[in-house]
Amino acid sequence: MEVESGSDDFIDDDDDFGGSRGKNVKGKGKAIDRRKKDKGKGKINEQAYAWEASYTRSWDTVQEDEAGSLQSAVDDLLARGRRRRLLAPSSAFRRTIIRHLILLLDLSASMMDRDMRPTRFDLMLEYSREFVLEWFDQNPLGQIGVVGMRAGVGERIGEMSSNPQDVLKAIADRHKLEPAGEPSLQNAIEMARSSMSHLPTHSSREITIIFGSLTTVDPGNIHDTLDACIKDKIRISVVALAAEMKICREMCDKTGGQFGVAINDGHFKDILFELIPPPTQRAASKAGGGASNPSADLMMMGFPTRLPDTSPPALCVCHSELKSEGFLCPRCSAKLCDVPTDCDICGLMIVSSPHLARSFHHLFPVKPYDAVMEASLSSPSANCHGCEAPFPKTASAMSGEGISPLGRYKCPICLNDFCSDCDVFVHDVVHCCPGCGK
Amino acid sequence: MPSKLTAGSFAPHQLLPFLQQQSQGSLTRLYQRPSSCLSIFRLLSPLERQLVMNMLWLESPIPSSTMSAWVNKDGKKLYDAALSSLSQIHIISNPLSKLNLNPTFKSSLRQAITGGGEHRSFGVPSEKDEKRGPTTVESLDAYAVERWETILHYMVTSGTGQAPTKPSQGVLYLLQRSGLMATIGGGSLQITSAGFQFLLHSPHTQLWDLLLQYLHMAEERQMDLVEVLSFLFMLSTMELGRDYSTENLSETQKAMLEDLRDYGLIWQRKASSRRFNPTRLATTLTSSLPPLPSSSRSGSASQAQGFIILETNYRLYAYTDNPLQTAVLNLFVTLKSRFPNMVVGSITRESVKKALANGITADQIISYLTTHAHPQMRKNTPLLPVTVQDQIRLWELEKNRLKSQEGYLYTAFASQADYEFVLKYAKQLNVVLWENGAKRSFFGSMEGHANIRGFIERRTGAGG
Amino acid sequence: MSDFAVEPSSHMSVILDLTPAQWYLSSLPKNEYPLSFRSFLSQTLAFLNSHLASKHENTLAVYGALPGKSVILYSSTDSSVGQDETVADANSYQPFKTVDSVVASQITDELDALGDSDEEAPCQLVGALTKALCHINRIMNPNFTTGASDAPQPTREPRIIILSVSPDLSTSYIPIMNSIFSAQKLKVTIDVCKIFGPDAVFLQQAAHLTGGSYIYLERRDAYLQHLMMTFLSPRSVRGILAVPTQEKIDFRAACFCHKTIVDIGFVCSVCLSIFCQPVPVCSTCRTKFPMKTLQRLNASRPSFPPQPVVRSMSAARTPTTSTPPGTRTPSVSNHHADRTTSISSSASAKVNGSSSVAVGNGMTP
Repeated sequence: MEVESGSDDFIDDDDDFGGSRGKNVKGKGKAIDRRKKDKGKGKINEQAYAWEASYTRSWDTVQEDEAGSLQSAVDDLLARGRRRRLLAPSSAFRRTIIRHLILLLDLSASMMDRDMRPTRFDLMLEYSREFVLEWFDQNPLGQIGVVGMRAGVGERIGEMSSNPQDVLKAIADRHKLEPAGEPSLQNAIEMARSSMSHLPTHSSREITIIFGSLTTVDPGNIHDTLDACIKDKIRISVVALAAEMKICREMCDKTGGQFGVAINDGHFKDILFELIPPPTQRAASKAGGGASNPSADLMMMGFPTRLPDTSPPALCVCHSELKSEGFLCPRCSAKLCDVPTDCDICGLMIVSSPHLARSFHHLFPVKPYDAVMEASLSSPSANCHGCEAPFPKTASAMSGEGISPLGRYKCPICLNDFCSDCDVFVHDVVHCCPGCGK
Repeated sequence: MPSKLTAGSFAPHQLLPFLQQQSQGSLTRLYQRPSSCLSIFRLLSPLERQLVMNMLWLESPIPSSTMSAWVNKDGKKLYDAALSSLSQIHIISNPLSKLNLNPTFKSSLRQAITGGGEHRSFGVPSEKDEKRGPTTVESLDAYAVERWETILHYMVTSGTGQAPTKPSQGVLYLLQRSGLMATIGGGSLQITSAGFQFLLHSPHTQLWDLLLQYLHMAEERQMDLVEVLSFLFMLSTMELGRDYSTENLSETQKAMLEDLRDYGLIWQRKASSRRFNPTRLATTLTSSLPPLPSSSRSGSASQAQGFIILETNYRLYAYTDNPLQTAVLNLFVTLKSRFPNMVVGSITRESVKKALANGITADQIISYLTTHAHPQMRKNTPLLPVTVQDQIRLWELEKNRLKSQEGYLYTAFASQADYEFVLKYAKQLNVVLWENGAKRSFFGSMEGHANIRGFIERRTGAGG
Repeated sequence: MSDFAVEPSSHMSVILDLTPAQWYLSSLPKNEYPLSFRSFLSQTLAFLNSHLASKHENTLAVYGALPGKSVILYSSTDSSVGQDETVADANSYQPFKTVDSVVASQITDELDALGDSDEEAPCQLVGALTKALCHINRIMNPNFTTGASDAPQPTREPRIIILSVSPDLSTSYIPIMNSIFSAQKLKVTIDVCKIFGPDAVFLQQAAHLTGGSYIYLERRDAYLQHLMMTFLSPRSVRGILAVPTQEKIDFRAACFCHKTIVDIGFVCSVCLSIFCQPVPVCSTCRTKFPMKTLQRLNASRPSFPPQPVVRSMSAARTPTTSTPPGTRTPSVSNHHADRTTSISSSASAKVNGSSSVAVGNGMTP
């Protein structure tokens, strides 16, 4: 009987998808029974199936107000963003900034599934390109390598590079990356691990896996590989396109990475892009305050002078070519073609200071502004301190945590009022308060 | 027309060719007024403006070689073109050796920028009218829209049997004079094919088209062109919503007040009033801002932003409640249904054929649709569905399947050798349009006829 | 059809450096070309008017960077800033007259309001720059929450022009860099005219990174002509008529510990804080650095200035303790250097563009 009811289960599912072909009459009767039961349950919690529940109708979440305007809904969305920022710890500046990442792409046959448009494979390539650009924008001193999983082996697609164009070129041609065969997590991770083994201890080592298959074909014990990764302090994050696999979840949990299963196209992009901001340093948070951190190091760096293309041409030390433009090493005045690099003559690490400066806002975030809840007695300024937009004269009826009815947000340091647009702009883009310059 | 956004590639303003035809003397007289200099300066292309600005504060002429040293390699052509067009309107004198601004122009433009002087060319504001409140911008806008749309609406409905409000006699004369409308068979005024094309232009172009005609007419009426032009330029630098006094105007300019009132450029409380207000049509003459405030009641921003959505299935939705826009669309769209705030129609072979027969070209239809496309459409690349664009062009080609060319048919050659000899000569002249060896005949174009005839005569003369 | 409407209008935000002390120095007759504030202002106003003259739709915002304060002086997009009390007259174009009178009166008010104590405060260039960015952000993305979308805006090219007289303020390094990156995101070009004082390294980087141009004004008597030739042209014209560009761009940074500007720095691998000398503990993230590294770095510090003589590689490798002739007082190299180094000396070090080669002795750790 148990076997039979198992098969009924299967047909039951089939039935619900509208595929009743009357194959098993006996089973069908039972199935209807069960469905009735399901419906009864559904009435209790209003959610018959998990996959229906996860599908939120985006248009239902937006509510019009009495006047038929969407203004309040938009404001609510803004306020939600504000609240999330308030929740974020303001002191989380211990972040890894020199990052090394291997992007592990699943190129197995399962990537040709069309559950994401146009195919998982095409979508993965598209998002990977955006990911690489955004990643380099936020991690200008990082490096990315690309490894593919195809036909049971790991395939090196792009070498570790700090130039986004190199990485993009490696994944530009989709015909070279045509998916085939089964993936092998172990082979690919081993390959990624070996290419990162020589890296200095102060930089982070990360593997980001985009995984569409539900199987892995490994030559040995993948848990040994996992242990080796933990030993090497490699952080593994997985974005699964199909479903959660035990081994993937375990890899992420044990190495401190993130695991996510993409529900749809948009969610895929969201969880992939969550991996872009530099992770907070694990070792440091464990050791606390001033403990010595073995992975930290002090590096000597040189900031070069850039020569214009009108300067007299000279030979560069990297390619021995006659060029006018270039950068001068501050220590030995050797001429280099591009930065960041290591000077070929004196070995000094040359970075242009803007490269470093791009990461500073992670270190010194602007203090969140406080929403002004009620008009204070001392008459406040009529215009936003940032963009000079006039504040509304009367308080609106909207309320909500973290949203000001007066449309004013006050900097806790310089006590100037800002409008909601400037609040968002200052915290997300400028990272510097116009009032106090901090 | 889509155009690249490189400086210098902008088509010159319509007025500039007219200015080029004027004599140096009258231009210099025009340049004496700072407001005219400022307005003309704004009509120039970006590169020309920059060149003028580079030289404006120099006291001595600058050698051309010095200036051209700043020009990039690829910009040489544009730079030369800019210099020559500047010298055509006598802003630069003699571009060959040393560059120097026309001294009158230089001092007037300097005065415009720094202020001062006693030229009173920016319009004399009138004293506050105590009895009546100040004129509001809204009422001026409403007036301008009403006047302008009356003109266009009259044009678009002429010949359809409807009887819209007639614009004033002066406007009618101007429309007829400019060839936009014509009396057909001694009857009422009918719109011409030029008029149909005019309707599809942007309001800014339409306005200048009419003003150019007005200038030509002024020439014939023996009006002083410099006075006319400087009055127009003065209007363009005035402030919307401010009262100006008529006291300082010359006789010619006072005479112009009436005409410009008819076009909606100027508002006056009554014809004898001693003060006048420029409308938005006038103050945006040298600007690319929409010269007409968004028309009528609701869809405030819709006109400036565009209101047309065109689908790949040739269906067209226009979010407008403006009868004029509907009438213009009706020129090339089969309208199906009309709602309070939109009309629905589709572009069909018949509707386009009708438009083509009226003298409207496919490019004009496409550019009208492009400029008035709804903001939602602007997210598409290309903006208009390619199928529709292509089909409109194909329908135009359909019309042009036959091409006529005048010429002469040469037949009845005495011998094959004769025929071939003459044919060979005609081919050398490149005038043969069609030939048939079996019938010993060929068709030559008009311009080759004299030569061929002479050739045959010489041959027959020599032979016989 | 005319393409007259296609050309984009441009928005210009001008930041005036209003440091009274620097303007006093600039006007001293001992300068080769003294430029007083009065004549600076009149020439600048002519430039602002020329910008408005170029196109009817061009917009303008003027900011003042005062000691310890930054203010908006004029904005053509907001009627709320600087109410215009002038009477119309027939001899000037009204918008020009408004700009002139509003900017001049606002500057007078602000300068009068400055107390003696305020004059010592550093110039608030950062405040003005970030305000300009906030303003551009608002007019470029008219958001209905601000209610500023009165009319559909045509395409606009925004840019910022900084007219600077005061020297770099190393404390403002991070905020300036952050502003530069946000300007890049907003596609704003930053032009810099350095009218007086030493070259500003940060502003050079600002111009370079945003595609603007940086000029150091040597002939201060030709100030207006420089403004016209270099800063008036919109981006499209700059492709045809070249504008002066920088010769060399200094990519130096300010260290976090003493805010000195360094060309070789020591960088914390955790948070990328820059230090001018090896430190045992990062002051930003409190990471302790291994002793070995400190020793190695101290040993390898290029504690002498660039050598005027090109030396052979082998000679360069040998540790040198003698003091070469130079402007700097050399600090004691080797292990105890982190406490005894004179910091200010490294600030004056400029990258020597000549062929001198000074190879530190730190090639081998």
